[in-house]
Amino acid sequence: AAAAASIRERQTVALKRMLNFNVPHVKNSTGEPVWKVLIYDRFGQDIISPLLSVKELRDMGITLHLLLHSDRDPIPDVPAVYFVMPTEENIDRMCQDLRNQLYESYYLNFISAISRSKLEDIANAALAASAVTQVAKVFDQYLNFITLEDDMFVLCNQNKELVSYRAINRPDITDTEMETVMDTIVDSLFCFFVTLGAVPIIRCSRGTAAEMVAVKLDKKLRENLRDARNSLFTGDTLGAGQFSFQRPLLVLVDRNIDLATPLHHTWTYQALVHDVLDFHLNRVNLEESSGVENSPAGARPKRKNKKSYDLTPVDKFWQKHKGSPFPEVAESVQQELESYRAQEDEVKRLKSIMGLEGEDEGAISMLSDNTAKLTSAVSSLPELLEKKRLIDLHTNVATAVLEHIKARKLDVYFEYEEKIMSKTTLDKSLLDIISDPDAGTPEDKMRLFLIYYISAQQAPSEADLEQYKKALTDAGCNLNPLQYIKQWKAFAKMASAPASYGNTTTKPMGLLSRVMNTGSQFVMEGVKNLVLKQQNLPVTRILDNLMEMKSNPETDDYRYFDPKMLRGNDSSVPRNKNPFQEAIVFVVGGGNYIEYQNLVDYIKGKQGKHILYGCSELFNATQFIKQLSQLGQ
Amino acid sequence: MAVDITLLFRASVKTVKTRNKALGVAVGGGVDGSRDELFRRSPRPKGDFSSRAREVISHIGKLRDFLLEHRKDYINAYSHVMSEYGRMTDTERDQIDQDAQTFMRTCSEAIQQLRTQAHKEIYSQQVKEHRSAVLDFVEDYLKRVCKLYSEQRAIRVKRVVDKKRLSKLEPEPNTKARESTSSEKGSQHPSQESEEKPATEEYPEKVPAESQPELGTWGEGKGDDELSPEEIQMFEQENQRLIGEMNSLFDEVRQIEGRVVEISRLQEIFTEKVLQQEAEIDSIHQLVVGATENIKEGNEDIREAIKNNAGFRVWVLFFLVMCSFSLLFLDWYDS
Repeated sequence: AAAAASIRERQTVALKRMLNFNVPHVKNSTGEPVWKVLIYDRFGQDIISPLLSVKELRDMGITLHLLLHSDRDPIPDVPAVYFVMPTEENIDRMCQDLRNQLYESYYLNFISAISRSKLEDIANAALAASAVTQVAKVFDQYLNFITLEDDMFVLCNQNKELVSYRAINRPDITDTEMETVMDTIVDSLFCFFVTLGAVPIIRCSRGTAAEMVAVKLDKKLRENLRDARNSLFTGDTLGAGQFSFQRPLLVLVDRNIDLATPLHHTWTYQALVHDVLDFHLNRVNLEESSGVENSPAGARPKRKNKKSYDLTPVDKFWQKHKGSPFPEVAESVQQELESYRAQEDEVKRLKSIMGLEGEDEGAISMLSDNTAKLTSAVSSLPELLEKKRLIDLHTNVATAVLEHIKARKLDVYFEYEEKIMSKTTLDKSLLDIISDPDAGTPEDKMRLFLIYYISAQQAPSEADLEQYKKALTDAGCNLNPLQYIKQWKAFAKMASAPASYGNTTTKPMGLLSRVMNTGSQFVMEGVKNLVLKQQNLPVTRILDNLMEMKSNPETDDYRYFDPKMLRGNDSSVPRNKNPFQEAIVFVVGGGNYIEYQNLVDYIKGKQGKHILYGCSELFNATQFIKQLSQLGQ
Repeated sequence: MAVDITLLFRASVKTVKTRNKALGVAVGGGVDGSRDELFRRSPRPKGDFSSRAREVISHIGKLRDFLLEHRKDYINAYSHVMSEYGRMTDTERDQIDQDAQTFMRTCSEAIQQLRTQAHKEIYSQQVKEHRSAVLDFVEDYLKRVCKLYSEQRAIRVKRVVDKKRLSKLEPEPNTKARESTSSEKGSQHPSQESEEKPATEEYPEKVPAESQPELGTWGEGKGDDELSPEEIQMFEQENQRLIGEMNSLFDEVRQIEGRVVEISRLQEIFTEKVLQQEAEIDSIHQLVVGATENIKEGNEDIREAIKNNAGFRVWVLFFLVMCSFSLLFLDWYDS
């Protein structure tokens, strides 16, 4: 079951097979090189870039990789592999390529299924260009989703406005628009399950967008299973055998059950990087300011270099510390740096010993173990260099994050919000924090206030509200999100009780004097070392209830769909009484790394269970606030 | 799981064809189309880049097949005792080595040629990139095949070294004379080894037998055939001592052999790295030369500027002095 749980591996294997002309890829050290050209559109680019680096593409024999809608010159005698979405413009451009005879043979791969009429368009163009034999293979890849981590996926990046939280919750949305949005989501989810090779059991809450998605997905899966000839879920899917006893659980939740988590300030490494820096599809873009010296009068201002780093699965430090609280990360970077320096010193020492060798005959006796040491040192040099690069990378990233934390006093916000969300007593009044001019940007204050508003059992009185509003506007915030949240809260109150956030507390540990004494690069004075206590966010709680078949008023009336059942659709009574081993949580309307991390932490405690987390789009708090303010206008 | 819809595509091609025929639209494809395609393809220049690259690849493939085919025989250690089919004499092995080397040289030259030519003809950036990538792949393939060759050659060399070591250090000093005579017979290694092997087997028996005539040859100086028991004992002790010495020498030499092998391996690694660094150092050299040029020019410019500045100041001074003189003059004139 472990093999089946890594959606990233499966997608990578599928991509590699596609790149190998749709024949399973076998590593052969003395194989002849075969070269090809890869053409993708922006969707394809987003799917491929987190999974395969340029070097890996080279290893598969790809000499050039180009965007579909760019100017491309004819390269004769080269097979071209296309990986595009079957949209009108793409099809037109492909027909144009066929007419212009750009390449020798064409292997067309569509990210999601292409319709018959569009296929005929291509056939038409191929006929007109007399290029029918050049079209070697046509495939539907069913890969319309982006995998970011081993167990996390996102639906799309290019057209995320289409399926954003705002798009779904707009008051002025028409039915047809809603249908299109739902269709897009369902299409991607369907591709996801085809790649996973399993038919899930679906559960969703009633009366939300998630329910619409569930109904459609169930229908689509059912249709596909009925069609025995063309079913995508039969026999040859690997891992199907492993799944035949245990089917995964798909939990569809709507963003509306928990609006506080996307606004929350966070303290774990990956979530911080996403919140504070420009982090996109596993790539973080940093602006490095080159020193803070006083530039002489008249000199041009120093240009800031932009650097971008890829945070990949190969990066062991990242994999280990993605979910750790930030001070731990800082310490670990220090430790890595020290161990690297120790290894470097050892190599240097060998160098000086070797220097003795020519003069001293007695050194020959030292030679025996030194030769072995030297061989091992030299062969470990590439590893050392790689380690150094990673340490530099993480030092830069962590320093950038730390600067933000210090400038905006994010630790204060984090602590305060944790207290609000867990309903413990607050030691400082909210008004103080909001009116404090050096704590945080207006956006931070807005976030804090919204969290307070969302998690308060009763709405604050009018007078209090006015006070807060005045303080917020003084601090420079835009009040539109508040409008929307008010409406949402009213609606949510009608629908069900607002979710509570658990009863655990955080333990602030005061200043880290130890860190200051070691003279580390990360001067953490003034930054509290907060220890995260495990608490379950609403999404995690829902998952827990459903997966362990616990009875809970919150989740008891969730709908139940089983596409494999012959009879009609839903019953509220789950047929399967055993706890599930595999689960997939999908948030309709957007998700973020905090929830992901929470789920990962939750499942770490349970042996043999796996969770995949997916969302229709991935946003950080800034983007979410923007959407809320657009909704509140 | 991907779904192969090629057949669906072909079916739609047929549908479109029939539909076009039915509608009477001018058909670009059809029976003529396939002929058209053939016509379109043949005028393409034959000597062009990718066909030449493919030629090089097929050559390298042939080399690889050749090496793999004879690999088993090449490595086979006991070829001299096996039947005809498995045997491969050393001369044959040398022949293979030489052929392989010349082959590899010609292949790499061909790749270099292709590289220079490819960049001359074409102006499109994408095609250039594509071609250099293709050549990189071909070079990589050649390297991999060369690795095959160097691996088996390393095994062979190691085995020869081992054999030499065994054959030199086995016999005791008493048989040194015998060795010199046997080395005159001809030094085909297998034959030497085969001689040494039975020789070493017989050695324990021969020693007592042969020591007598050996000693006899030395003892001829004494002119005596009988040896007193003390002398025998002395000689035996000397034998033992010499055996001990030779053993320790043998151990040391073996150690040194091992180390030398390691050093040679290190050398390989180092030369590789040094070659890599050579390219970098060249580029750094270029940069530094450029930088010194720039600095020189900068100095010149600064000198110019200083001169202009100084000249400017002289004129200003002159003007002020003239003004003051004219003031004095006017004052004197007025009063």
